[in-house]
Amino acid sequence: MSTSTTAPTTTTELRDAVRDAPGPVVATGAGTAADWAAPPAPDATVISVRGLAGVVAHNPGDMTVAVGAGTPLDALQSALAEHGQRVAFDAARVRRGATVGGLFATADSGPLALAYGSLRDLVIGVTVVLADGTVARSGGHVIKNVAGYDLAKLLHGAHGTFGVMSEVVLRLHPRPPAVRTVALPCPDLAGLPAAGRAVTDTPVEPSALEWSDGRLLVRLEGTEGGVEGRATRLAGLLDGAAELPAADADAAWSSHADAVEGPDGRAVIRVGVRPTQLGEVLTSLVGEADAEDVTAAPATGVATLTVPADAEVVAAVHRRLAAAGGTSTLRSRPAGTDLPAWGPAPASAVLLRAVAASLDPDHRIGRGRMDPWLPRTGAPA
Amino acid sequence: MTTATTGAGSTTGALAADFSALLPDTCVITDEVGLRSYECDGLTGFRQVPAVVVLPRDAEEVAACVRVCARHGVPFVARGAGTGLSGGALPVADGVVISLQKLRRILEIDVENRRAVLEPGVFNLDISGAAAPHGLYYAPDPSSQQVCTIGGNVAENSGGAHCLKYGFTTNHVLEMEVVLADGTLVTLGGPSSEQAGPDLRGLFLGSEGTLGICTKVTVRLLRKPEAVRTVLADFPSIEAAGDTVGAIVEASIVPAAVEMMDSLAMEAAEAAVGAGYTVEAPAALIIELDGPAEECDEQFAEITRLCEEHGATRIHVAGTPEERAKVWKGRKAAFAAVGRISPDYFVQDGVVPRTRLAEVLTRIAEMGSEVGLRVANVFHAGDGNLHPLVLYSEAAGEHETAEDLSSRIAELCVELGGSLSGEHGIGADKACSMTRMFTDDDLAVMQRVRAGFDPDGRCNPGKIFPTPRLCGERPGPFRPHPLEEAGVISRL
Ligand SMILES: Cc1cc2nc3c(=O)[nH]c(=O)nc-3n(C[C@H](O)[C@H](O)[C@H](O)COP(=O)(O)OP(=O)(O)OC[C@H]3O[C@@H](n4cnc5c(N)ncnc54)[C@H](O)[C@@H]3O)c2cc1C
Repeated sequence: MSTSTTAPTTTTELRDAVRDAPGPVVATGAGTAADWAAPPAPDATVISVRGLAGVVAHNPGDMTVAVGAGTPLDALQSALAEHGQRVAFDAARVRRGATVGGLFATADSGPLALAYGSLRDLVIGVTVVLADGTVARSGGHVIKNVAGYDLAKLLHGAHGTFGVMSEVVLRLHPRPPAVRTVALPCPDLAGLPAAGRAVTDTPVEPSALEWSDGRLLVRLEGTEGGVEGRATRLAGLLDGAAELPAADADAAWSSHADAVEGPDGRAVIRVGVRPTQLGEVLTSLVGEADAEDVTAAPATGVATLTVPADAEVVAAVHRRLAAAGGTSTLRSRPAGTDLPAWGPAPASAVLLRAVAASLDPDHRIGRGRMDPWLPRTGAPA
Repeated sequence: MTTATTGAGSTTGALAADFSALLPDTCVITDEVGLRSYECDGLTGFRQVPAVVVLPRDAEEVAACVRVCARHGVPFVARGAGTGLSGGALPVADGVVISLQKLRRILEIDVENRRAVLEPGVFNLDISGAAAPHGLYYAPDPSSQQVCTIGGNVAENSGGAHCLKYGFTTNHVLEMEVVLADGTLVTLGGPSSEQAGPDLRGLFLGSEGTLGICTKVTVRLLRKPEAVRTVLADFPSIEAAGDTVGAIVEASIVPAAVEMMDSLAMEAAEAAVGAGYTVEAPAALIIELDGPAEECDEQFAEITRLCEEHGATRIHVAGTPEERAKVWKGRKAAFAAVGRISPDYFVQDGVVPRTRLAEVLTRIAEMGSEVGLRVANVFHAGDGNLHPLVLYSEAAGEHETAEDLSSRIAELCVELGGSLSGEHGIGADKACSMTRMFTDDDLAVMQRVRAGFDPDGRCNPGKIFPTPRLCGERPGPFRPHPLEEAGVISRL
């Protein structure tokens, strides 16, 4: 796929590698989302950020940590756990060694997004290298900060376009002393929005609420006494709700993560709609696009599903979501398939093109990833 | 009517005539007296009379006004309620002020989807007011929430006391309709937290009106927490109060809010509203917890224990909603109340890593006594966001000394690894200090992003970024982050 690979270990080396590469550049981390979004230009120089790994600064008292963009999040979580802290983020592919930079660039998120948002809500500073070798930083090391533009947001979901991140600063949260999961039967997707509301109308404040395998999983986090009381209350308030024994809860969440990642051979798509539309949209995708492996968060309106790796089917999913006023992004696609990664371009795509033209006029960085929203060729010579 | 020449050579008369073709007379202000009421925002030291003020009534009219500005090549400044404290809504000479005060409809309270769709001129507190009958509320709560608009909140990424647990405006906005500098309307964000592609919504939030004008915004509403527990605790020293906050963090508790006040601030607040503060106490904390009842009770017991352990001299539990309101009233009134103990004052806004609170407060006190001025402190202790109030007397000719002290305090925050602003923004006020926090390259890249949105730089120019005109030929030098200096981090 590439002409060559480089593996810088410092921001200076990264800058030189990006600036001096002859044509397009694609940054890689652990490669867990190499096949997400649209394919990068075939002649791109691959720059691995795996060498930019590790904790740069962690001050537990300030609840922040600065890390190299190539740091695997699971390793970081283990290090933070020793201080009773965590990045409140649990995307499925973290367990496969995904890096902080890769998770951020792909706008990935897991069940905890209900309570903590995605990495866009947790990253407070970033250092980025642009195509011309400019190294820029925005944000900082404090959680509360409104000085200057928040450039990190532009890189969140950009799938490696605009610039290559070298360092990321994250806000941390305490690890909850206790966690419980209550399961609630919900066999029919059409009933999902109502079932979700039944939970969020109670005062138990779940940190995650996900549909998987015909039931709703409600994760409660907090103090030992607190989660005990909340689990008991929830089971009492909602018909059929029951707390899962710890082993069953682990199995349920792990099967949820498996479904999110999807089986080999199918296209994985992440969608988002208004929560009340979720039942209807998912039901129609199951009926019309042969959607399977559905997981869904009824309180946020975000769902992940797989469909046959067929260009027309994937395009139909994009159209269905656009018609519902929602969003859709192709994640995994089987090797060798040519599937539309992006739906109809929104009006705001003019801004993406204008900002790209200003930051990377030759579209070198991540060229192809956002095709057709961004050009898949460089500027004419 | 003057015939001043605007930026691109259009005359104000021609400009105003084009606006008059779009809007009724009452929505186009060109008379001196009318214009004067828009000459500044909450930072009254910066004043500039604009050429024209327009008051469009809907998004289409906002877009049409922006297109008129584009045609004439003149800059424009969006304005909400004008409560900003950094000169963000300061007009540009010969430019246009586009006031959003007529776009003040709450378009929808969508109970099932827990969101509100708002025009930008809606007051922050009115969102929670409209949501309250459904047991819902809008979380970000700037102290100015009765009088500031959601459009201003979007532009400043405003925060409030409860942002410690709930996050800032950026964490609560789902979707926005925005008028770009050329007058086109785009939607940023979407109906769920999931977006396809880069987070342009997040980039716009906090951009201080320099990337476009927000004409509609969809925010998340939260279910009101089941339980709220509030305690007011006095401490024998600022250090003891600061250590208590550290102990709370270490105990894995994330309170909804942790606010600190020093004795000077309490003296002022007490004189103004009689909130029941102990004026003699060197420091006090307001700590609030909310959430499910069992969780709250357990953590509240722990918090009162930690306060005692750190030598609290009085622990007052606000047991009723009335008592809670009273405790908060003092805190929220503290800024204005300072007017009772000093003829004039500057409000500063800076952030330090929370663990450096005691250090920064000691340094601030020293800096104050060096120049003979008192500094009162009221701040969000949980996240290190300081609001030092520099007390001075205009009549005694202390203005410049006080202003200089206030700027040096913000820059001290940067030196200690923090930020120039936690919530009030950079605006015109701190643009020249930006070089203390960011390198020329950092700022140039931000400007390149801006050029993608507004290639001609007509959207609220002169804010955020230092310019030679504003700051002199050579604005203050960039100083490396302390961690950089210590060799812990490096950009290169
Ligand atoms: C007593 C007092 C207490 C305060 N407490 C807090 C606090 O606790 N937390 C906090 O964060 N702030 C606080 N502030 C500051 C201020 O209230 C906020 O910054 C608020 O968000 C400003 O809203 P506004 O409607 O007054 O905006 P304005 O002052 O009118 O404008 C602020 C900025 O927003 C831009 N703008 C306004 N509307 C739009 C729009 N629709 N689209 C694009 N840009 C727009 C303007 O151009 C300007 O740059 C306080 C201010 C006062 C006076």
